[in-house]
Amino acid sequence: MHRTSASRAARLTKAVAQFPVARYLQPGRYLKMADSCAPKFSAQTLKEYELTLARYPTRQAALLPTLWLAMREFGWISPQVEQYVAGLMGLPPSHVRAVVSFYEMFYRKPVGRWHLAVCTNLPCRLRGADQIVRAIRDRLNFEHGDTTPDRRFTLETVQCLASCGSAPMLQLNQDVYHENLTVESVIKLIDELAARAD
Amino acid sequence: MERILSRWVDIPDLRRIEVYEAHGGYQAWRKVLTEMTPAALIDEVKAANLRGRGGAAFPTGTKWGFIPRDSQKPVYVCCNADESEPGTFGNRYQLENDPHGVIEGLLICCRAVNAHVGYIYLRGEFALQKRRVDEALAQARARGYVGRNVLGANFDVEIYTHRGAGAYICGEETALLESLEGKRGYPRNRPPFPAIHGAFGCPTVVNNVETLSNLPHIIARGAQWYRGIGPAASPGPKLFCLSGHLNRPGLYELPMGFPLKNMIYDEHLGGGILNGKKLKAVIPGGSSFPVFTADEALKVNMDFDSVRAAGSLMGTGGVIVMHEDTCMVDALRTIANFYHHESCGQCTPCREGCGWIEKLLIDLEAGRGEAADLDKLIDIADNMEGNTICVLADSLAMPVRSFVRKFKEEFVEHVRRRRCPYRFERGYAGAAPRDAPPFPPTEAGAAS
Amino acid sequence: MPKLTINGRELDAPQGVNLIQAAEMLGIEIPHYCYHPGLSVVGNCRMCLVEVERAPKLQIACNTKVAEGMVVRTESPRVKTAQAAVLEFLLINHPIDCPVCDQAGECKLQDYYMDYDRKPSRFPLGKKNKKGKALDIGSDIMLDQERCILCARCTRFFDEVTHTSELAIFERGDHCVVDTYPGRRVDNRYACNVVDICPVGALTEKDFRFRMRVWYLHRAPSVCSACARGCAIDIDHHRGRIYRYKPRYNPNVNRWWICDEGRHSFTAVQREHRLTQPLVQAADRFAAESWEAALARAAEKIRRCSQDYGPNAVGALVGAQATNEEIFALKRFLSRTIGSTSVGGVSFSSADARPGDTFLIRADKNPNTRGLSALGLALDGLASLAFAAGQGELKVLIVLRADPARALGRAGFMRALGALEHLILLDVSASQTASFAGQVLPIAAHPELDGSFTNFEGWVQRLHRAFDPPKQARGALELIGALEKTLDGIESDYSAPAVFADMARAEAAFHGLSLEGLAHHGARLNGVAV
Repeated sequence: MHRTSASRAARLTKAVAQFPVARYLQPGRYLKMADSCAPKFSAQTLKEYELTLARYPTRQAALLPTLWLAMREFGWISPQVEQYVAGLMGLPPSHVRAVVSFYEMFYRKPVGRWHLAVCTNLPCRLRGADQIVRAIRDRLNFEHGDTTPDRRFTLETVQCLASCGSAPMLQLNQDVYHENLTVESVIKLIDELAARAD
Repeated sequence: MERILSRWVDIPDLRRIEVYEAHGGYQAWRKVLTEMTPAALIDEVKAANLRGRGGAAFPTGTKWGFIPRDSQKPVYVCCNADESEPGTFGNRYQLENDPHGVIEGLLICCRAVNAHVGYIYLRGEFALQKRRVDEALAQARARGYVGRNVLGANFDVEIYTHRGAGAYICGEETALLESLEGKRGYPRNRPPFPAIHGAFGCPTVVNNVETLSNLPHIIARGAQWYRGIGPAASPGPKLFCLSGHLNRPGLYELPMGFPLKNMIYDEHLGGGILNGKKLKAVIPGGSSFPVFTADEALKVNMDFDSVRAAGSLMGTGGVIVMHEDTCMVDALRTIANFYHHESCGQCTPCREGCGWIEKLLIDLEAGRGEAADLDKLIDIADNMEGNTICVLADSLAMPVRSFVRKFKEEFVEHVRRRRCPYRFERGYAGAAPRDAPPFPPTEAGAAS
Repeated sequence: MPKLTINGRELDAPQGVNLIQAAEMLGIEIPHYCYHPGLSVVGNCRMCLVEVERAPKLQIACNTKVAEGMVVRTESPRVKTAQAAVLEFLLINHPIDCPVCDQAGECKLQDYYMDYDRKPSRFPLGKKNKKGKALDIGSDIMLDQERCILCARCTRFFDEVTHTSELAIFERGDHCVVDTYPGRRVDNRYACNVVDICPVGALTEKDFRFRMRVWYLHRAPSVCSACARGCAIDIDHHRGRIYRYKPRYNPNVNRWWICDEGRHSFTAVQREHRLTQPLVQAADRFAAESWEAALARAAEKIRRCSQDYGPNAVGALVGAQATNEEIFALKRFLSRTIGSTSVGGVSFSSADARPGDTFLIRADKNPNTRGLSALGLALDGLASLAFAAGQGELKVLIVLRADPARALGRAGFMRALGALEHLILLDVSASQTASFAGQVLPIAAHPELDGSFTNFEGWVQRLHRAFDPPKQARGALELIGALEKTLDGIESDYSAPAVFADMARAEAAFHGLSLEGLAHHGARLNGVAV
């Protein structure tokens, strides 16, 4: 009895993991689950969203800013977030996903606390971007994947970030530029970030 | 030479409005609103012969002239701050350090075409730059330079920033408009042109950051003065972005027509080649354009027409310098990777061709290529160029053709030896980064 | 009318048409994938590049409108190079799985490759991008992302025509895929149109998958009979079996589209559901008999009743499934041969029929309700005939393509028409009314018919016979002609064109029309405001 229900639960978990969205979308079936994990903007963000709408003559034009609000609020754009944004803005979810998947900065899976975007375009490579990437990989010990198992760091190689005169460089958490990197300086940076409590 | 577009180097805190005003800031805007008609304004810009700094070098005044005078629909102005061309980084420093200069230019443009809303489309990665522009906008709004009934001149204008999210193609003006409308950044077919059917189906002007930031100076000091800088056919100051194997890479303001040789070797400019190496190649205008061999590079003057006559294009003024240890196959592979990655996927030749070229170059660089691949690369490039909606395909075709033709022996060598002949592993060791950049850095080091 | 030159030939083209349309007027093909006249122009496939004098670059014909003095070349070396290049690009990541692809034979990649490229591949098979295959995306559609050329016709159809947006293009560059939103399915009543407009084998119909090679199919232009819209269709058939309906362009009726219900409505008339020989009811059982015997029996009943009770004792009930010709012929048979005026129409849509919409689908599930009324038959014919039967005035009823027992229910039918002496049913398959019939005569179904329908807006469109009716089933017109001959020995021409011609003479609404004149796009009834 006990075994049966455990294996059933495992099967169910597996099925849900395989088709999380499909299950989520079937009205009525997994309603509880849908309720519990349905994302929603905070009141403050909703207010910002309303202000954003006012800047454009069409509703859809506010999609990118709204997705940015969602990035800030939820950390990444999960399928549930896509559907929330679609519902909020009255757009087909397929259109929201079409846009999300076109732009690289919308994370489509969770990323680590520290997101390192290292430019590996030509001007940066001419000044040793490959060594920077290697140094980060070695320091953080990851051969496979791009996020450390403790979810502290995500490494991404990106295209030109308009910092060619101060190459090589990386952008931290989609914001601050760290430029004129050397292997030593980037290792120092990583060690500092790793040591931080937040 | 006097720094005009990069005044912030000499004027600390230029991004604060009091400082900006103390140095003549918003006087041009006041003059435009109170002393000039829109027609006179356009004439002045035409007289200055300001040409777009975003890459296409189209005369700005003429572009404005395409906007219907009696448009029944609203007119929009977009500032293209999606700077993403590899080798180009001038806009970024302008937005960071002189946001008011860009805003004032945008306001002047709004007046010229009777637009009451302007958008500044910043690439998604420009988080700091967006904060700086938003701060500056708030200051300008508080001083009444932006908003309703500006300076009592019965002119309403609102400026908004719009943040992209990581797509090179959105620097293409129609893709930018699509992106502004909340869609995938797909370039549009022309006709219709943005001047008739742009943002939200309305007449729209899209101007680059650097183009707009010239405007306050042209208005304040006159077209005559402006034309005195550089060659008559493409006058004005220009921000050149030097990158790659130089002792002093960085942003330098020079007059149009400045010799490339001096840019590279002058000790107060590029400062010569890194580690005393020999110059091998230069891409003069950002990675989209044909490469120059060292010989070609040392002869050319940097203005739109001279570079074109020498067989390349000045584009955005992004000068990428490569020394003798650079593997040109790997350099081209890196460029191809970029365009493959950034192709929007809309048109067949670009969508399929960019990936094909990159796959061929990966094999060539790894020593798995064949002699026939060189012709194939040229052929693919020829088949891509000019056959697509926008010029992204051309932007790969041009470097491919020039790299393969001008450095053919290097490609052949890869095939013959079945490996890359360069000693270095991937990446170009020996590029010891400098201690200090030429301009105040961004908020680097102050990690959040 | 701008005058332009295409490949050296002059043309006065209507203002506003593009170069693909203009060239077509001269019989010149400009190959294209993404352009579809029913959708917005995106110009992404780049297949329609042509040379336009004074334009430095090749121009896409789909986005170039004709202009006065324009000089266009569609076969110059530059154009040919570009066409071959685009095909090569399209094929490098294409799986080339034609041997197992249902589109083979009607695939624009295949066709254009043969016409415009014919070069061997320069791209190694092992390096092709991998994408999703055989994805069940809902409705009746399977998606193969590797075969897809990203022309965006399907996404535009769902965005612009149905406004349902189930499909979109995700990702970027050569990783782009057409797909549904995860967990959502294509679910609208017009979904299968995307299979038709898909120029390659990326979208295929489950119903048709692996069933038939398209080059074995024969095609007959006809009209869908699933509702009062009467969408123009092509019947694709092989050896008396229908494999699919495809919408046929008719600007007056359905443009390029058809609903999925109509598209799949042919299953009801496939052979296995059909009546195939004349039946006679005796002691609650049906027995087969020969056509001679059946006709003789019917004629005898009609003759006797009309002699005994007067001509109006013989009546007819015509369903809105009958063609204009059948309605007219039966009405004329009653008046001319028997002298009866007891004729009525019925247009019945069952209560559980799917509702109409604002696009194509009509609530009235009959293709020729308008034809009935245009030919002067009351649509409430059943009520008056039932009244006459109840009064004992109606004894013999000929029922053509109608099912009163279904419309009234069995009890209702008995109350209304139970007093009849003899009911002669002419129908395609065994209906509920059949069990009350004295005789059941098998007739041809719509795909087996020559004739016409009048749609709800008064557009008269032609049906062409795709193949012969199964076994002993006969055309209803032929049957009426045979009955007439049996009764009064007169033999007249009961071919559809002849009957239509008679109808055009006799009926004001059809004056001036002819069956041949209906051509591909039909003609409007007289007296209908356009």
